[in-house]
Amino acid sequence: MKRLCYPAFLALGLLLFVASCAEEQDFDQIDDLSVTPTLASGLFYLESDEATINSGGALSTFYFREVNFDTFNEQYVAEHLLEGTITYELENTTSKQLRIIIGFVDEAGNILDTEIFEIEADPSGVLTREVFYGPGGKSLDILTNTTSLRISANNLSDGTSVSSTQDPKVILRSGADFLFELQ
Amino acid sequence: MRIAPKLILIPLFCSTIALAQNKELLYDFYEIPQSLMVNPGVKTSQRWHAGIPVLSGLSFQGATSGVTVNDLFANDGIDFTTKVQERLLDVMGNKDDFSSTSQIEGITVGFRGKNRPDDYYSFGMYGETDIISYWPKDLAILAFEGNGGNNIGRSFDLGDLNLRGEMINVFHFGINRKVSAALTLGARAKLYSSIFQFQSIKNSGSFVTRQGQNNIYESAINADMQLQTAGVKGFYDIVDADTGTTQKDVTSLFTERVFLGGNLGFGLDFGFSYELNPQTTITGSILDLGFINNSKDVWNYTFSGSTTTEGISVFLPEDIDDVDNDLWQDLLDEIDAALPYGENESGYISWRPVKVYGSIRYDFGEGGNPVFDNCGCGVNASGGTNRDYYRNSVGGQLFMMKRPRGVQAALTGFYQRRFGRVASLKATYTVDKYSFTNIGLGANLQLGPVNFYVLADNLLSYSNIADSHYASLQFGFNIISWNDN
Repeated sequence: MKRLCYPAFLALGLLLFVASCAEEQDFDQIDDLSVTPTLASGLFYLESDEATINSGGALSTFYFREVNFDTFNEQYVAEHLLEGTITYELENTTSKQLRIIIGFVDEAGNILDTEIFEIEADPSGVLTREVFYGPGGKSLDILTNTTSLRISANNLSDGTSVSSTQDPKVILRSGADFLFELQ
Repeated sequence: MRIAPKLILIPLFCSTIALAQNKELLYDFYEIPQSLMVNPGVKTSQRWHAGIPVLSGLSFQGATSGVTVNDLFANDGIDFTTKVQERLLDVMGNKDDFSSTSQIEGITVGFRGKNRPDDYYSFGMYGETDIISYWPKDLAILAFEGNGGNNIGRSFDLGDLNLRGEMINVFHFGINRKVSAALTLGARAKLYSSIFQFQSIKNSGSFVTRQGQNNIYESAINADMQLQTAGVKGFYDIVDADTGTTQKDVTSLFTERVFLGGNLGFGLDFGFSYELNPQTTITGSILDLGFINNSKDVWNYTFSGSTTTEGISVFLPEDIDDVDNDLWQDLLDEIDAALPYGENESGYISWRPVKVYGSIRYDFGEGGNPVFDNCGCGVNASGGTNRDYYRNSVGGQLFMMKRPRGVQAALTGFYQRRFGRVASLKATYTVDKYSFTNIGLGANLQLGPVNFYVLADNLLSYSNIADSHYASLQFGFNIISWNDN
């Protein structure tokens, strides 16, 4: 029995070593890896009280600014951007009918696209708009060629009335959700 | 940036060539001289031994507590991205790790004191590489899924980044003393010569994108992160310079660091064996109680600060006269300023991964000739109760190791069978975080003065090694003498 034990151990050991193997592995699969994160960020926030709107007078532009914005224009971002949505929320508690225009401007100063928001005087609730860029939506080229945003806010009403609401304001919120293909 | 997602998979590849630190097969396998390295207080019966340079002790271990190589790279026709999502991102946690340890013994010599036959002295030199990387779960999800969609409101833990690695050369000298017929004590002093070390183990912070107080989203980050490196930049600079003598320069720097030319450290091992009765023995050891003082070629990287942003914000009337058109760039600059990236050369102490072993063994099957007769080994040789007369042993072992995220433990049951002086076999079953099916087998063969041993873990996984969570192999050659002839 003892004599059998020793060879048996050795045979088992040898068998395990000889039998050791690995199933076929394909390490090239890593090239098929698709990494498509969704990145979210606040974009632009504009808030104005009613006094500022009134100070511009009736039927006037109370705010105008062109802001350099070349994030989507950067080569890496432009090459990897698949699709995305910019969400706008407009809230008006003033006594004015207002219009806010956001223009997407390229390097040569051409306006590529505009988003126009008109909102009635309070109570008007919250105006929400989701603008989709990509297949089935607006062209991604608008974003990838944009180097600045032109923002103007216009008072479509008089320049004297004051809302009875406490702390009347107009607020424009915006945020972006974009899908990138990193790999 | 394109390569960033692949970087997260690097630990997985590293683990395929790595080893685990637990040497349950070698522990208390006292017929093998290298068992002194895992318990300086192990029973020693030989008169002297000498390892065959570089071949006396080679050990390699690789471990992954989560996904295996086969899980991802099997040629199974399943979409790779789906496999990454389902088998990596959805399953692995931030306590799963990929680790690798290897040791190559350069020199090992042991001899019994002429005037004190109860003492067995051993010394030598070995190289060790040890790398562990915990799965950076939240950072991986951030990279693969982003902060948008379903991750709005999710706080990503920046502390998930936790890795440590080093390559060292160790010079050691140990004394093993048979205090009595029942008790053997041992200690070993170690001088560490570091070739390189890096660690990023004290990171904290979070990144979250949530509904803003004003705008639709706000993103908030607070970070306190640091990567410490010592000995890395020297090699990097040589490779980066690409002078045409790169290989020679790397070899020269490596050799210098191996022989005490780099950062140095000191450590101690302690161990004991105690026979409760002629057939029952308990043992224990604590290894690598030590540190390395990293003061040369140090290069640390820091990233710390906190900020919250909701994008470009304009408040009227406050900003009505602000004519700056670079509001977006100003915002990015503010974020950069709030989260400074820094470099420094401050020295630091790196602690060695402390390991603890304990065991109890029961010997039975008395009979036949002793394995080590005429050993001249003092007090242990006396009497007829020497445990070497027992051919069989069974017992249990406990292993614990300090890792960056706590103690890693393993429990082992073993059976050992001796076949005279010629051979001894040890079989183990080990349970740890890497595997519940780890069966190991070790063999020690003695052909005249030539000793050969081979120890292999997790044998059941050898049918498909790529699907293994743990693999380990140790082997070596020694020359052993038990008498004066």
